[in-house]
Amino acid sequence: MSYDPLKVRERGRRAAAPILLAASLLCLTISTRSLVGLPERVGVTVLGFFQKGFSALGGFVSDTLDSIAELRRLRRDYDELSAKLERFTAMERGMADLRAENGRLKEQLGFAQGEAGYERIAARIVAKDPGNLYSTIVIDKGVESGIRKNMPIVAFQDGIEGLVGRVVEAGLGTSLVVPLYDQSSYVACRLVNERHEGLVAGSGGADDPLVMRFVKKRAKDEVQFGDLVSTSGYESVYPPDIAVGRVKRVRVLEYQTSVEIDLDPVLDFSRIEYVFAFKPLSARPAGEGGGGTP
Amino acid sequence: MIRSILFSCLLLLGCGYVQSTWLGSIALLGVTPDLALLVLIWVSYKNGIVEGPCSGFISGLAEDFLSAAPLGFNAFVKTAVATCASFLHGVFFIDRVVLPFVLGALGTLAKALAAGFLAILFSGKLRGYDLLGKELWIEAAYNGLAAPFLFLLLSPLKRLLVTERGRE
Repeated sequence: MSYDPLKVRERGRRAAAPILLAASLLCLTISTRSLVGLPERVGVTVLGFFQKGFSALGGFVSDTLDSIAELRRLRRDYDELSAKLERFTAMERGMADLRAENGRLKEQLGFAQGEAGYERIAARIVAKDPGNLYSTIVIDKGVESGIRKNMPIVAFQDGIEGLVGRVVEAGLGTSLVVPLYDQSSYVACRLVNERHEGLVAGSGGADDPLVMRFVKKRAKDEVQFGDLVSTSGYESVYPPDIAVGRVKRVRVLEYQTSVEIDLDPVLDFSRIEYVFAFKPLSARPAGEGGGGTP
Repeated sequence: MIRSILFSCLLLLGCGYVQSTWLGSIALLGVTPDLALLVLIWVSYKNGIVEGPCSGFISGLAEDFLSAAPLGFNAFVKTAVATCASFLHGVFFIDRVVLPFVLGALGTLAKALAAGFLAILFSGKLRGYDLLGKELWIEAAYNGLAAPFLFLLLSPLKRLLVTERGRE
């Protein structure tokens, strides 16, 4: 048998793909058993930095184009507003008194911090999952801003505070959030009026309805179209009484002891730009107890 | 070879960023085209068995960091698709429209099969495409339609992305 270096080299080239596939499987084996969280955190930190840059660049271009059109409008508005300003200056004195009184009342009611026992950290959505199989939202705040894994994320839209999801990975300057509609998301919820409890799961798509499972069968006669569903706060990473969705349809399956309720999310996820992370004020770490992902 | 892998990885990473930040506005029923997959198919087809899978593995690993997918998921899927595409190297010539469309659509189905294989292997922990669901077929059609344009744009970059051996 003669030694042929060309054949050996070709054999080496052919071995590359199986070796890489095996390396991928090794990574998967480690990551799915959650033995190591460090590579993900490092990856999110490093790659998230550039992702923020891309998002900022896209935002800059669209903002510049918008600004040109807006400048014309602003000039017109400026004259009108100057006239109004004089009237509002007079009103401002009265407003200052009202604001001070409002602040005092809020303090007395314990609402100064928003949700009791939580501090809100504002963040902007900068990216979404590059693939179509998983649904992730990337926010521009990370560990350095106080974001931690499993923190609940909410947003305000049309005057309603609704649940967006929870943090699954926090990098230094960016964090990954799994939204409510993701298939891996489970939230302990209750019907606000009827007080029946259940578990709300995502269907995978932002436009697909959420499904509330394990609701007692007697609820089928009480639940009505449009009823609000909010977080129950039991054994969960999510604080209580955050709106999740509204009843769209009740499905009664004869062979099951519970009913399933389809919900329309209270938030239009395609329109969300800014969100808030709930940081617990007490020493209790976010994510203590169950909830989130089964 | 190193240069080809390096530039391919940079381009694939750029595509991943574009997909995650800018392409949301052209999503059809929440589905965006997988530009990185199309670039990877082109690179693998042009280069052969080493450069494509290497680029797929590295860019897939990077994509895992940007996604909720477990580490190694996209690395495996992209390496598998790149390996399949690299087997076509030198088998036929790509025209301007039809074959790019076919490669884009079939590449998406190969991606779905690889993801399905992993979903079975790691039962319950990973997610696979629903073969009867509209998302997969929309993505396949979207990728098929985007492929001719993307392949056309990639042609001038042949010197950077394809090895001398691949250009022969």
